[in-house]
Amino acid sequence: MMHFLDAYKKPLALVGIIIFLAIPLVVENKLLIHLAILGMLYAIVASNWDLTLGYAGVFNFAHLAFFGIGAYTSGILTVKLGISPWLGIPCGAVTAALASIIVSIPAIRLRGIYVALLTFACSQLVLLLLLSQPLITGGQQGLTGVPQLQIGDFLFRESKYAHFYLVGLLLLCSTVFLRRLVSSDFGLSLIALRDFEEYAVARGIPLARQRLLAFLFSSIFPGLAGGVYAHFLIVASPDIFGFSLATLLLSMVLVGGVATIYGPVVIGVVMTYVSELMASSAWMSDVFGVSRGPVRFMFVAVLIVLTMRFFPQGVWGLVNQFSARSLQAKNTTVEDPA
Amino acid sequence: MLFQVENLSSGYGKIDVVRSLSLHVDVGEHVGLFGPNGHGKTTLLRTVSGLIPVNSGRVAFRGEDITGLDPRKIVELGLIHVPQGNQLFPEMTVQENLTLGAYVSRTDKSKASNFEKVFTLFPRLKERRSQRAQTLSGGERQMLSIGVGLMGMPELLILDEPSVGLAPLIKEELARAISEIASSGVTMIVVDQDVELLLGICERLYLIEKGTVSLETTDVSQVDQAEILEMYFGKVS
Amino acid sequence: MTPEAIVAIIASGLVSGSLYALMASGLSLVWGTVRMFNFAHGALVMIGAYSGWYISNRGGLAKVLQPIGRNIANNSEDWGLIGDILHPLGEWILSIKAGFGLLLGVPLAIIFCGIAGYVIYIFLVKPFVGKPGADLVVIITTIAGASFMQNGVQVIFGPRYKQLDRILKGPPVEILDTAIGLQEVLIIVLTPVTLLLLNLFLKRSKLGLAIRAVAQNDDFARLVGINVNQIYPLTFVVSSMLAGLAGLMLGGLFFILPTMGSEPLLRAFVVVVFGGLGSLPGTIIGAYVIGLIEQSSAYVFSLYWAPVVLFATLILVLIFRPRGLMGGENS
Repeated sequence: MMHFLDAYKKPLALVGIIIFLAIPLVVENKLLIHLAILGMLYAIVASNWDLTLGYAGVFNFAHLAFFGIGAYTSGILTVKLGISPWLGIPCGAVTAALASIIVSIPAIRLRGIYVALLTFACSQLVLLLLLSQPLITGGQQGLTGVPQLQIGDFLFRESKYAHFYLVGLLLLCSTVFLRRLVSSDFGLSLIALRDFEEYAVARGIPLARQRLLAFLFSSIFPGLAGGVYAHFLIVASPDIFGFSLATLLLSMVLVGGVATIYGPVVIGVVMTYVSELMASSAWMSDVFGVSRGPVRFMFVAVLIVLTMRFFPQGVWGLVNQFSARSLQAKNTTVEDPA
Repeated sequence: MLFQVENLSSGYGKIDVVRSLSLHVDVGEHVGLFGPNGHGKTTLLRTVSGLIPVNSGRVAFRGEDITGLDPRKIVELGLIHVPQGNQLFPEMTVQENLTLGAYVSRTDKSKASNFEKVFTLFPRLKERRSQRAQTLSGGERQMLSIGVGLMGMPELLILDEPSVGLAPLIKEELARAISEIASSGVTMIVVDQDVELLLGICERLYLIEKGTVSLETTDVSQVDQAEILEMYFGKVS
Repeated sequence: MTPEAIVAIIASGLVSGSLYALMASGLSLVWGTVRMFNFAHGALVMIGAYSGWYISNRGGLAKVLQPIGRNIANNSEDWGLIGDILHPLGEWILSIKAGFGLLLGVPLAIIFCGIAGYVIYIFLVKPFVGKPGADLVVIITTIAGASFMQNGVQVIFGPRYKQLDRILKGPPVEILDTAIGLQEVLIIVLTPVTLLLLNLFLKRSKLGLAIRAVAQNDDFARLVGINVNQIYPLTFVVSSMLAGLAGLMLGGLFFILPTMGSEPLLRAFVVVVFGGLGSLPGTIIGAYVIGLIEQSSAYVFSLYWAPVVLFATLILVLIFRPRGLMGGENS
């Protein structure tokens, strides 16, 4: 079975992608397509988080702030200045990138828990600054009336394909970018710094520069995704900075498997589906009474703890482990006669 | 036999630092361990007091098998290990450090008289009883370290490198105090680089090399000083 | 600034400072001993408030027990000897329709928080102690724990706000023509007393001494016979009880809702970093300083800008003095 999986990994992945791409062509249910779009956006944010959390080994709490900054930048520029969303979204990526540099400069000087605290404080500061300017940002209610995406007279929200393929393309670009990055010399240097910091520094790897770049590279696609998110939902809300979304996205990285990129991508989409369906299913409301929204976050929390406890390498890690084992088995059977 | 180590192996991770080591100590005996640095003496002590897991072999104390026991239970039985590098609770006073030395309930009844004993042995600690441990001098810290050990009413007292890094005068003062403890009937294992210090206290010596006992002698005069020097500094050619 | 304004700022600064001190000293204690940051500490504040409300209020436990009490009181005559014994119990339950009151509610809620802290330690912390990267893993698991508790409380109690009764009822105290509520006065007075008791516990009791010993040198603590596996959960219990007390105080001032612990937790982080991780005196001084800074900047700038000032201060402290303004070298 595992031999089979191993040999056909690439074709299988291709088939999976094709099936996924066919979803809007086959599925009529609008909710499912909506969830797929949301799931892909979250998958972008989660897989980019994996770059700092998994590969660089730095706990960047401000990661969701990059997403939020992207959303608010594009939202504010389009609502208050009336510029086109197609210009607003890249601007969101630029401000997210700037923010990542600002956060990383003090963060690279610190270690362990202090990095977590500093980045946490930074993301709170961004939220507080947004809340302190209700005239521009809409305060607690969020920025409403964000224009939807359109090309000429074609409105994205009226088509069930447009957002899906736009976000799909973005996810594809992000994943290719990340995979190339982590298998490059730069990616290897990050792993070296994570696992043998002193040795890596002694061999001439510039710690500060590599960490700063890791922050920067991890911020661009979440910035873009944030902009698309705001125009897709036509609102930029301070909920982006809340504990609940942070927990959900963190669980995507962890359950998917840290330092794998693919894990968070796949599990990001799957978890969005599962958790949103949980929130809207009749079964949940029968079992847990009226308030079923909170119950899914309780499930997510339990899932995180169980993953950390029993599968610290996540789903993707387990798959890799199995295929590595089957590879080993194959090799030994080949070598045995010799 | 009070204390016995049989074929003990232990270390960090999968690498054994102590390799199949055996030794024993009788009631009232004072035994010295010496040998080059990094050959497993401290690892041995950390293993017998329960800080490091045993990979194989057996440790017995007062007729009980204490292999792999929790450090707390080993202390409760009366095996007290005074670690090297004058480890203390730095932000606590001398008095508090000594109080913690008598943490196990076995010592509750004679706490006051134990305080007296420690203060007569080390009058300097009495003067500094309300001073924080981190403000003491190196010699005083070592005295306090031993004092904390004595507060635990040892059946077997293990001192790891008591003289390391001390000025000669203070070293002498400390050696006198350790001899005094020894002559008061406390069974001891002393580990030190300074063989002369050991010769002044112990009746029997073990030489520890590459994680195991390479020489045991009951007649301390037989220890060939030249041989030891050779071991520490390599062959002089 | 008028003298009235100054009195008002000082009073509200002391109230905030007290709450932060109770929360931050627990965080600091856990950090100093276990080397972990408990991100579920804010949820424990919330648990303290909710459990206090549940025990003390007429809409809580008392309401649930009424049918049981009525059943016992009405039917116990048919139960023979057991009924004679149970009858007064039923009567008693019926007589406490208005809730068990704060006299029972406060201590029971604090004990309940202690138990919750123990459960958090067992499930979210203990499995990871001593493993590489444990401090970061525990951040993740305790965030998950906080999310679990917040959402769980919402499932149990619903989204409607609750409010605790005030412990002291009566007209406010007047200082220099400024009215200060009795609840506020109680908080200002009770917090230093609690912290003094905490200090006595840490300095005089055997277990308190053991907590400090483990914090300062856990290897040596093992060698004097301290059971470190018992001290870790103990610090979680003590710290959670302090959080619970903070929640009970907060619940008497504002509405109780599932997310009520998040904001104070953020402040408590600022305080702990500001005062130096693991330094208890630094933490307590830091708490009052932060409380006063916050309230005066709220007066000088605006309510919106006060937290901005606070977090900007925190980031500056982290950049220039990561060990805190009063932190020692062993952090």
